[in-house]
Amino acid sequence: MEKLIEQLSICIESGKINRNSGYPPQLKGQDGADEIARQALESGIKPSGILEGCMAGMQRIGERFGRNEVFVPELLMAAKAMNTVMEHLKPYFQTGEVKRRGVFVVGTVAGDLHDIGKKLVAMVVEGNGWEVIDLGVDVSTEKFMETVGQKPGCAVGLSALLTTTMVNMEKTVKFIRDKYPQTKILVGGAPVTLNYANQIGADGYAPDPQGAVHLLDRLAS
Amino acid sequence: MAKSNVMTGRERIRAAMALKPVDRIPWLPFVGCHGGALIGKKAGDYLRSADRMAAGAAEAVRRYRPDGLPVAFDLQIEAEALGCSLVWSDENPPAVSSHPLASGRAFSDLRIPAKDEGRIPVVLEASRMMRKAHPDIALYGLITGPFTLAMHLYGTDLFMKMLEDEKSVHDLLAFTRDVGLRMADYYTDAGCDVIAVVDPLTSQIGPDAFQKFVRNPASALFSHIRSSGRQGSFFVCGHAQQNITEMCACKPDNISIDENIPLDYVRDICLENRISFGGNLQLTVVLLLGSPDDARRNAVECLETGGETGFILAPGCDLPYATPPSNIEAIAVMLQDPYQLEIAKALKTGPKTRDLLDMSDYGQTGKVIVDIITLDSEACAPCQYMVESVRQVAPEFEGIVEWREHKIKHADSVQFMTSLMVKNIPTICIDGRIAFVSQIPPRERLIAAIRRRIYEKLQYKIRTRRGEILILGKNDAECDRAMPVLAQALRELGVEMPVTAVTDPGQILSYGVAVTPAVVMVHYKVKAEGNVPAAAIIKEWIKEIQ
Ligand code: B12
Repeated sequence: MEKLIEQLSICIESGKINRNSGYPPQLKGQDGADEIARQALESGIKPSGILEGCMAGMQRIGERFGRNEVFVPELLMAAKAMNTVMEHLKPYFQTGEVKRRGVFVVGTVAGDLHDIGKKLVAMVVEGNGWEVIDLGVDVSTEKFMETVGQKPGCAVGLSALLTTTMVNMEKTVKFIRDKYPQTKILVGGAPVTLNYANQIGADGYAPDPQGAVHLLDRLAS
Repeated sequence: MAKSNVMTGRERIRAAMALKPVDRIPWLPFVGCHGGALIGKKAGDYLRSADRMAAGAAEAVRRYRPDGLPVAFDLQIEAEALGCSLVWSDENPPAVSSHPLASGRAFSDLRIPAKDEGRIPVVLEASRMMRKAHPDIALYGLITGPFTLAMHLYGTDLFMKMLEDEKSVHDLLAFTRDVGLRMADYYTDAGCDVIAVVDPLTSQIGPDAFQKFVRNPASALFSHIRSSGRQGSFFVCGHAQQNITEMCACKPDNISIDENIPLDYVRDICLENRISFGGNLQLTVVLLLGSPDDARRNAVECLETGGETGFILAPGCDLPYATPPSNIEAIAVMLQDPYQLEIAKALKTGPKTRDLLDMSDYGQTGKVIVDIITLDSEACAPCQYMVESVRQVAPEFEGIVEWREHKIKHADSVQFMTSLMVKNIPTICIDGRIAFVSQIPPRERLIAAIRRRIYEKLQYKIRTRRGEILILGKNDAECDRAMPVLAQALRELGVEMPVTAVTDPGQILSYGVAVTPAVVMVHYKVKAEGNVPAAAIIKEWIKEIQ
């Protein structure tokens, strides 16, 4: 039992999706996240235990990314492996047997088309047990407002990579604050700083996906 | 360094890229969409018109005196010609918003764009216009790097494809390399001197992936550029420190980086590989949001780190549209004037605020003090003329005006200068107040300024005049006899002043008086109010009454 969870976390960390996938070369021909998740469920491991195994793998790769030991491709593969496990867990989320930590609505603000950083944050947060609604890039304030309206109690993540679009971030924060004052809002992106986050009235700033997960967990509890 | 400005900008950049000696460090302001701001056009209107880009470049040449300029800083030109949709904005280059290979277009359908597709004819026309108008400036033709162009065509799933399906990524990069080879030819034929391969997305992969996917296509581009008699530069914007060694292995003539990578790190690796390098003025914090002082300081840091071999001073990447021109001009002026450069170097480490002198009482002596802040009048012509102008006028005010030169090569002069809030060299201060900045005042204006100050002081003196008259006598009668005379004098002057009789022999002696009657004038003068000034200032006052 323990062993399956351990194997699963290794699959996530190294981005091993399934038996057929050729990446990473050193795990070629072996079972991947897909197969191991199924075996784990069949052998009676609790879905919440499986989720924890994934999170451990995701945390390790997230930290290596933060240390510049791996880069965007590797992190994206890990997130993709994580997603295949999520497919297996979906029914349990629906019955409420495993609880989502919350809903995270994320997008890159209006006028900004940078999506790599936002995508990583979305995938890693999802891999840590959140339901993620990724609104994509160039997302208008209205679109964010509409989604927050539909998902009461959600947390929001705004990404901006351009100094020229940081004003749109400020505007979106302000509008959400005015109408949904309880909503927790995180901001990030290369030019954004903690100072700026405070200045525009956001609840938090994180420099990387792992930081975003910690922050969300703190704000949600 | 040799004598300034004996090379043309074009020669200077060519030499620096070949690691040959230069008469001064070449200067390459990346004026892309910012050229639109210079001529009052939106980015979208600018990057779609050859005339406007040529006009923007002309304005940049006039104001920024560059050694080299990019024709267009727009990484979407090839992508657009290949069928990516663009989103235009007013203050940024356009952005790719759809990726043909991710939305059903077959790879085999892609064709290398011809000269007349998309905006390629516009930028080629702009190159020809700029070549003609600025024969002495190095023109940079920017092509989209193979990896970034692949990402435009396929979207960010390309990252995962690199791990899951290497072959198709190699195929795609072979195609984007071929697009680059053709674009390099187009720009070469249109008169560009340098072809820059701009590949910012490589900042998001590690050295292993770089070597596997990017090294071959990039090397092919640089060897082709060299064989056409042009020089090749490799630009990255972003955290690409992990790949600098790999970039050198592609054998470009030059590598240009932004502020995310330490310049000394790049310098060491590049020079070891006999490759020139450029960068890395800070785009946002300094050039966009800072002041001309910040810009100069940042440029001096870059120059000191870059050194004199193979270095080209440039912003980290495309200048933001709204960059205040005064920040770029400050760097341009400084670079081309060795004095300005020396001044900036001397001032780079200005004193901290807490070390500043309290100057609020400076200049309250009887004399008028003229301070000239210079680099060193022997080494700097404008400084010399300014000192000379004061030297010639001073005798007119013999005994009233005292002048001195403060050479900021000395640390205490820098402190003095900063305390007086002097920002430019040379500057004349009269009694601690800035009077003439940078310009040498004509004789009459300098005389008038000093006169004005003398007059001000006189008025102040009258306002603050306080006195008392003492009559010293053996007894009251002796004193009383003197009273009417004093009263008359005061009356005739219209002045009120207390007159006090002193008859105590001890007190009389303390004034040094032996024979009575005697008159002592006591003169009180307010020198400082609300604070006690520094000892240095008080010493000046004490000298005055001795
Ligand atoms: C890749 C890139 C591009 C790609 C984008 C591809 C894509 N699909 O996203 C392309 C080439 C298309 C591009 C286009 C442009 N770019 Co660009 N780009 C970059 C580059 C090199 C890397 C950005 C990136 O993806 N980083 C990798 C990710 C992983 O990092 P990240 O985004 O910072 O995200 C991390 C954290 O910030 C955080 N995070 C991010 N979002 C969030 C959100 C939350 C809630 C939290 C908690 C955390 C968080 O977690 C992430 C993971 O660690 C940067 C350089 C740089 N220094 O960042 C320039 C940069 C951002 N681009 C810049 C510019 C100017 C442009 C263009 C205007 C110019 C152009 N056309 O060439 C266009 C703008 C298009 C538009 N309207 O949006 C400038 C911005 C300058 C400024 N301060 O305004 C930069 C800084 C380059 C530079 N030095 O000039 N760009």
